Amino acid sequence: MIQVQNLSKSFQNIQAVNDISFTIKKGEIFGLLGPNGAGKSTTLNMMSTILKSDAGTIHIDGKNSRENSKECKHLIGVVPQEISLYEDLSAYQNLLFWGDLYGIPSKILKERIHTTLELIGLLDRKKDLIKTYSGGMKRRINIAAALLHHPKILFMDEPTVGIDPQSRNHIFEVIETLNKQGMTIVYTTHYMEEVERLCDRIAIIDSGKIIAQGTQSQLKELVQTKESIQFEFNFLSESNVDQLRELLPYTVAQNENKLLVETTVQELSKVITTCNELQLSIKDIQLNKVNLEAIFLNLTGKQLRD
Amino acid sequence: MIFTILRKDLRLYFSDKKGILVTFLLPIIMITLFAFAFGGVGKKKSPPKPLKVLVVDKDATTASQELIAKLNSIKTIQLITSEEEKAVDLVRKGKNIAALIFEKGFSDAVAADTDLPIELKYDAARDFQMRIIHSVLKEGFKYHLGKVDVINNIKLKTTSLIKESSTKAHPGLVQAVGGTAIMMLLFSIAAIGGGLLDEKEAGTLKRLLIAPVKPLYILLAKMGTAMVVSILQLSAMFVFAWLAFGLPIFMDVFSLILLILCISFAVSSFGVFLVSTVKTRQQLQGMSTIIIILMSAIGGSMIPINMMPAFMQKIAIISVNYWGIEGFFDIFWRQLPLIAMLPKMGILLAIGLGMTLVSTVLFKKNIIAIE
Repeated sequence: MIQVQNLSKSFQNIQAVNDISFTIKKGEIFGLLGPNGAGKSTTLNMMSTILKSDAGTIHIDGKNSRENSKECKHLIGVVPQEISLYEDLSAYQNLLFWGDLYGIPSKILKERIHTTLELIGLLDRKKDLIKTYSGGMKRRINIAAALLHHPKILFMDEPTVGIDPQSRNHIFEVIETLNKQGMTIVYTTHYMEEVERLCDRIAIIDSGKIIAQGTQSQLKELVQTKESIQFEFNFLSESNVDQLRELLPYTVAQNENKLLVETTVQELSKVITTCNELQLSIKDIQLNKVNLEAIFLNLTGKQLRD
Repeated sequence: MIFTILRKDLRLYFSDKKGILVTFLLPIIMITLFAFAFGGVGKKKSPPKPLKVLVVDKDATTASQELIAKLNSIKTIQLITSEEEKAVDLVRKGKNIAALIFEKGFSDAVAADTDLPIELKYDAARDFQMRIIHSVLKEGFKYHLGKVDVINNIKLKTTSLIKESSTKAHPGLVQAVGGTAIMMLLFSIAAIGGGLLDEKEAGTLKRLLIAPVKPLYILLAKMGTAMVVSILQLSAMFVFAWLAFGLPIFMDVFSLILLILCISFAVSSFGVFLVSTVKTRQQLQGMSTIIIILMSAIGGSMIPINMMPAFMQKIAIISVNYWGIEGFFDIFWRQLPLIAMLPKMGILLAIGLGMTLVSTVLFKKNIIAIE
């Protein structure tokens, strides 16, 4: 659906995007994960046709986005990072305005506004001014404004910044619904939990470069770190450790009363049974999953939120 | 504690360069402008430029020619020989202040010691300068003819070429309404143009660019909004002046509508031009205050243009205010036919068009550049 090839963009002396390439398949949710300033928004701006690249090409549904920007604009919907709405207009008036820019006939537009407001759960507040909305509600209208022309692809630039968990969940549900209806979604964020929940495939971007891409399991295979469980016991003697190492060969480290076992969560019950057999009293259990945060840390030596 | 807060406030204040410009540079420029306008500058070094008066010698005798030559030696005035028809037309159109007509029989009247057939035809809209000319000429006649006013009863007949009447506005009212309306309009329109910067900061401009809309249309739509507001504001100002002060707005309503449209176009383009030259609201605020006040000062919104020295009157033509105010004088005072006003309207349209073209280039560079 989207092919990005050798894309580069610099602003004065800053290389914002540096020779990146990726492909997004039809109907998938593709995550662009990276810390602030990594080049996510610049990439999305180029894909949205409002920023010219210095080098490289973008093809949207087979069309070169630079040569066919007008057609591409009809194919894509963009949810900007900012709440790009007129605060002194109602939700309905905002949607009427944004929809009108795409030349949608009035009657059809009104029907689409109705269904879109229903989808985002704000039909009953349509006459209220945007400035009276909560941050989460504004974010939902921000999404609705990008859907009215029925785009095939939706670009979402950090659409959940600064909102409460309830609104965030609501937005996730909307995204999942849209995806089930066949919409291809490109989602940028620096929240790895969001990518883990929503995205089929992910590209990790840092300092303008894609450092890894693939499905979550493919990304996990890239790093040496394995999932582990850390047990803390009330008391742990040297002999207990020896016994455990014999019974659980994947036990890797011990520190005072703590023991690190390299295993998956599926193996947890087996480890607990072994501990019970040795009459060891477990004080605390901590699961160390190999998540995208860990992958990012492993690949860049930095935290995602640095 | 107070000192700490004071020091912080001063530091913040002096870090705002535009604020400093408005605080110090703008008053300095205004003082300079007013000083020139009211004639308080350079008195010792160079005398003020003489006021130009057209002179028509229909008598064409040695007596009249000698007197004209003597009057021309007065430093306050400069006599320019002309034909009567042309001179009257120039005064009527506001291009000259007055025309001094020596009627036939002047030399006979001098010899017979009777009333002199001299007439000073003037533009009453330039009352201030006319009074100076009248006073200087009267004194000149007394001095050069060697006669004393009280004994010989020398009279200098003065005739306003444009008569005040119940259907005509007083030039002071035209100046007050026209000058103020255009100056205030410039401020309103700069604020509307600033909406583009608000849209940029809020992100709605980015969304507009994402939509299948040409960037030029965004600029033109904003200019259209400014123009509608301009038309409404100017119309409201003139309706108010009609209701409150009796300004005869229905005297030549077609010309008035056309002039309002031309001024609105020029002012709206000026608004988008201002916005296109800056990148933030703060920059716009500082810049628009300085430019609008300067333009209004030199363009005749604050001080009547004819009170300004000649070089400032020449500079005035770069401002929208000047052409607008002159247009209002043409309608309400000089009562010129539409055809005579068309050049001024054309200049307003040309100013508007020029600024629109420059704005489109700057708009792409400064406003819609996405980073």
